[in-house]
Formats: sequence, structure tokens, C-alpha cells
Amino acid sequence: MIRGFLYHFLLTLRLNFKNRQALIYGYFVPVFFLIAFGTLFRAGDPPLLRQMSQLLTISVLGGACFGLPTALVSERERGLWRRFRLLPGALVPLLASTLLARTILVAGACLLQIVLAHGIYGTPFPQDPWMLAGGFAAVAAAFLGMGLVVAALADDVPAVQALGQCLFLPLIMIGGVGVPLLALPPWAQCLASFFPGRYAVDALQAGYSGEGTAGVLAFNLEALGLFALAAGAAGARLFRWDGAQRMGRPGRLWVAGAVVPWLAVGAFSAATGRWHALGPVNTAAAITGAELNAISFERLPPDDGIFTPIAPPDFAKGLSPADKARLDAIAFNLGTWAPANDPDPSQSIRALLNVAAVADVAEDRLEGPIARTVLNLLFARYRRQDLVHGLAWIALRPGEGEARSSVAEVGVPGRIDPKEVRARSAIYAAKFLGRIRGRIAD
Amino acid sequence: MTPPPPAISVRGLRKRYGNAEVVSGVSFEVAPGEILGLIGPNGAGKTTTLECLLGLRQPDEGDIRVLGIDARARPDEVRQRIGAQLQVSALPDAMTPRQALRLCGAFYRSPVEPEELLRTFGLAERSDARFSSLSAGQARRLALALAFVNDPQVVVLDEPSAGLDPASRRDLHRLIAAQRSARRAVVFTTHYLEEARSLCDRIALLDRGRLLALGPPEELVAGSKVRPRLIVELRPPLARDSLAALAGVGRCDPEGAGWSLETDSLPGTLAGLAALAAASGTELAEVRLRRPTLDDVFFELTGRSRAEDEPA
Repeated sequence: MIRGFLYHFLLTLRLNFKNRQALIYGYFVPVFFLIAFGTLFRAGDPPLLRQMSQLLTISVLGGACFGLPTALVSERERGLWRRFRLLPGALVPLLASTLLARTILVAGACLLQIVLAHGIYGTPFPQDPWMLAGGFAAVAAAFLGMGLVVAALADDVPAVQALGQCLFLPLIMIGGVGVPLLALPPWAQCLASFFPGRYAVDALQAGYSGEGTAGVLAFNLEALGLFALAAGAAGARLFRWDGAQRMGRPGRLWVAGAVVPWLAVGAFSAATGRWHALGPVNTAAAITGAELNAISFERLPPDDGIFTPIAPPDFAKGLSPADKARLDAIAFNLGTWAPANDPDPSQSIRALLNVAAVADVAEDRLEGPIARTVLNLLFARYRRQDLVHGLAWIALRPGEGEARSSVAEVGVPGRIDPKEVRARSAIYAAKFLGRIRGRIAD
Repeated sequence: MTPPPPAISVRGLRKRYGNAEVVSGVSFEVAPGEILGLIGPNGAGKTTTLECLLGLRQPDEGDIRVLGIDARARPDEVRQRIGAQLQVSALPDAMTPRQALRLCGAFYRSPVEPEELLRTFGLAERSDARFSSLSAGQARRLALALAFVNDPQVVVLDEPSAGLDPASRRDLHRLIAAQRSARRAVVFTTHYLEEARSLCDRIALLDRGRLLALGPPEELVAGSKVRPRLIVELRPPLARDSLAALAGVGRCDPEGAGWSLETDSLPGTLAGLAALAAASGTELAEVRLRRPTLDDVFFELTGRSRAEDEPA
């Protein structure tokens, strides 16, 4: 039995690479999606980082909704599974090897996307490949289980296409897979929590960019595991090796059983507020002592220079009443500005640094005093430990988190390239950090 | 000493699809080395009977044993010992005969080497060809080779000669006949009655799910109520009435340029015919005897006419 399983597994992989249609659907289409996403999101910083989980999910979803059931149903139509049924104890290992081979093929397509995204757009490689692999396994299990159900429901290959689209399109459009969850209105975000796609995207993103807490990741993996269990059990139970087999009432109950976890997980998410899209990447808590110590303060631009100036502590003496009034207004606005009051201290610190950075790049007349105002606010508001971690995170990983290219609402005009804002924020972070750690005299 | 169990034993087999009973209490046995042919018109229940035997269908009632093993209780044990060729079972386009044999063989305890099967079934030269490039005959031979991949003690073939050219059919007949010496029990379905007559030790005639007759072909023919016919051609021809009045003649039908005389007294009819010809100065241009055949038995027992269900 093991011999048969292994031989069929390897043979399925070999035959797949001899099938032009399978290659087009399995590899060309994922690359097409990569190029399409790259065209839309190449301006991201880093490019495509936050879309990679969506791309990978689309590839797995395509393999599950179309690749797997099309192969199974066409083989059934040709009588192949009827022939396999005559072999002793063969159906379960052959089905298992088919699923494993499909998982490997989809993994290959995902790997191709990762490498091409890096090569073409400079998208970073996954931050935690093992976590990504774990997430991928859960996503593949959940979606391929759905593929088994589609194969059981479809009487022929055209029916696979129709049923597959019924799954694929909603997940792509409002399930958080194709259209980013953050871009959806709240009602759609809430609705998306009733589809498995968003949990797949979040689980993969955790491995790709460290997004989400351990609790969120665990929840996503548990949800995917539940989907996989229900769909896999239904798909295996309803598996049709002969086209003449028909699904009776118990079969329809099994199909319903495969969808019940979607509703249960969605209801739980809605009840516990988990339906919100995850925020931007934040790995401040993961900054190690070694990383902190490796930050250099020696080649930073001078405080009285053109780049990233900081006014001296007694800067207020030389200010005109009008400038002083403007600066007071900015300080007041910063106190109530929502991004500066984000519950995540690292993100609120980044938002405040963005204000100094925008003033700097926009060559605001008060760029130095604004930076000093931000520095004073940071020192007054945050605990030393939070401040150290937040500033180190911004200095070490300028590309993470959310960068604000415009902060006009606090009284600092200008719209700046987000990349520039991130770069200047990183320099300010190092300058402020140097002061806290006693490496830069103020 | 207990006699060895029959290779196949089917008792009271019943199978229903909805309200239609497609197999109604069929029973038969096949001994090791025996060849049994299942014949019958379309929809007779031949394929369903084989599918129940192979475990592809779950019977509603009945007992099926293969080599003494309960096929319903231990289907995988039976599958280890049984080889089968189905009517339709294509392989993936890119799969080669060697790969197919190796794949199927991997599930058996003692598989036959693919090379040996490829040689036996005349596929050695096409062993690494894509399935899609095989001719219909080669594909059929591969399906047959797959039936022998486990060196089975029982072979089940569903219409093995359908679609084969005469040469391939002759090879198939040789192969089936050779199973006697290998002590393999063979059950096959066919629409070719002549094939069944020449190959089978016994024939089971099915119609509408019921077993109408079971026995050696000669016995089935001998037991037929169909009477022999004399085919006669006279020059100049004689009137029908004079022929119909001959001793023993039941029916007189035109056939070709002459007449077909159904008789229950062959010597009496022949003697009368000779006397009639001499008396009327007519030449007996042709006299042939047509004994009842399996075809006659088939149409007699199924109650169908030749025009209604002419075998392919």
C-alpha cells in the first residue's frame, strides 16, 4: 500500500509536468496574478510585502477550486478511478497521494511567486519561512478539502468550473483574498470573516512579514484546521470513484457539514471583534538586545544641518510670538491626534516621528523646533522601555508599520513620498534613541 | 477430504436500482480452470453481475464467494486474487503502459514483473509510449495486461473482444483458452455468441436480470426446442405447397433462391424430398442442413426476434 502510495505520488508529479494544460493553470496563471498585483502594488514599501499572502492564497485557492477537482473529475469520467477501485486497499492511499501531489504542485507555484516577486519587485523573502510553511500547510489542507467537496458535487468537468467559480469569486472579491481586507468597508470585512480566505491570508502573512500576534496566528490556524477537518471529512466521505454514483440526502448533509465551520468561525469572529482587518506590520517587540546594540550613532547628520535638524532644548527663546503660537498649536494637536494615540506605542511613536520627518522633507520653517517638540512629547509620554523599543524598531525596520505622507491635520503642511518619510523617520529615531541611551549629547 | 471450493460461487444475487431489479436471484459456480461466458441482450444484467462479483457494486441480496472467500465481507482479500478488465477504463494521456503496470502492481502482494506482461501482451515495443498514442487494440491489450498484473486465480473480463480487429480477437481467444491450463477460472461477457460457443466450457444466458440457462454450449443447443432446417434449392423450383407437405416439415420459408424447411424428422423429410424431386424431374441443386445454434437458443429463450436484437 505504501509502495503504491509513493509510486502514484511520484507518477502524478511527473505526469503533471508532461501536461501542458496543467502547467498553464498551475504555473502560468499564478505568475500572471503576480504580475497583475505587481502592477497595482509595486509602489508599496516594501513592494508587494502586504500582498504576498493574498497572492499565495489565490494560488492555493486556484489549485483547490479548479486544479484538484478538474483532475479528479476528468479521471473519473475516463474510468480511471473505477479501475483503481479494483485494486486492493487502493482508494485511500491513491486519494491521499493525489492530495499530497497537488499540495506539492501548489507549493511549487507559491515558491515561484516568492522568488519572482523578490527578483522583479524586490519584495523581501519571508521573514519566518517555517511559520509560512506551517501556514501554507493549514491553508492547503483547508482549501484542498474544499476541492474534494467540489469534485464530489460536480458530475463533469464543466460543472467543476461552475462550482469552482462559485467559491473562487466570492473569496476573491469580498473574502479578503483578492481585494485587501483593509480596502473593504466594515460590513464587507465582517462578511469576509464568514469565508475561509481571510484566515488563510492572515496565517500566511504572519509567516511572510511577522504580522499579527501569536494569539491571532493561533486563531487563524485553528480556524483553518477546522475548515480542513470538516471539508476533508465531507470530501472523503462523498468521494465518487464512478460517475454513476449519485449523492443522496445524507450526501447533502455532509456538504452542509463542510460549510458549518465557516459560519461558526465567522460568528465567533464577529462576536469577539476579530473580524477587523489586521493592522500594519509591527515587530517592535521582537527587537533583540543585540540588534539594539548594533545601532550606530556615529554617522548621523548634525542637528543643525539640513537633514533631520533638531532645535536645541532652549529653542523657544528665539522664536517670534507667531511661531511660538504655531508650535504650541502643533503640540496641542499632537496630544489629540489619533495616530499619535494608537494603542500600540511603537506605532504611535512612528506616527509622531512621521510629523518631524514631513516637516523636515517639506523644509518647514520650523522643522528643527517641530522635531524638538516631538522629542519632548515622546520623552514626556512614554516609558523608557517602550520608547527604546519603538525607536529601535523604526531605526532598524523603516519599512514596517504605517508611514504617513501627510500630517496636515496637526498643522504641518506638505505631502511627501512615503519612502522619504520612512527614511527621515529612521534617522530621527536613531537620533532620539542616541539621546536616551546617552550616546548623543543634547 | 473436503473438496476445494469453487473458484467463484454466486448464490441468489439480487441488485436493484431504484424500483428496477436488474439482477434477480442469479446463481452460478465456476470451477478452477473453467471458462464461463455470460451472454444476453443489452440490459440483461451481465455487467452488473460482474460488478457485484468485483465489489464495484454492493448487492442487495445474495452470497458471493471467490476461492471460498466471502467477497462482500473481505473485498480486498478477493481483489488480491482476482484480475479484471472493465469495458471502459482509460488511463491518463501521458501515462505509459510500463508505468500503468507498475502502479497497479504496487498494490498487490505478488505482482508480475511489468516486462513479462508487456512481452506477453505484445506491448514491449510500446512500453514507454504515451497512453494517448496507443491504438485501440493496444489500449485494449494493456487493459488485459492490467487484469493479469497480480497473477490472478480468477479473471473477470467485461466484453474483452469489443472493438478488436480480427487478429487481436484471435490473440484474445488464445489467451482466454490458455487460462484452462493455468487453472484460472475465467468469466467474461460477450455479445458474440460464436465466441462464447467456441471458448466457453459453460454459458450462462441472462435476460432482464434472470438466469435463463446455464450449461455447456452443446447441451444448451441440444436442449433447444428449435428444430433443424433443411435449406433446399431446386431447378426448376417447386411450389411451396408441395414442399410443405413433405413428411416432418413444420414450416417452409423462402430463403435465398430456395426454401428453408423446418423439420422434426430429418430422415423422413430427406427421403420425401428425394422422391419428390425424382417424380417431378427437378434437380436438387443444393441441400444443406442447418442445425440449431446458440443464436437460436438465445432468441428462443429471450423471446426476442433477430431483427429486434441482432448481436453486434
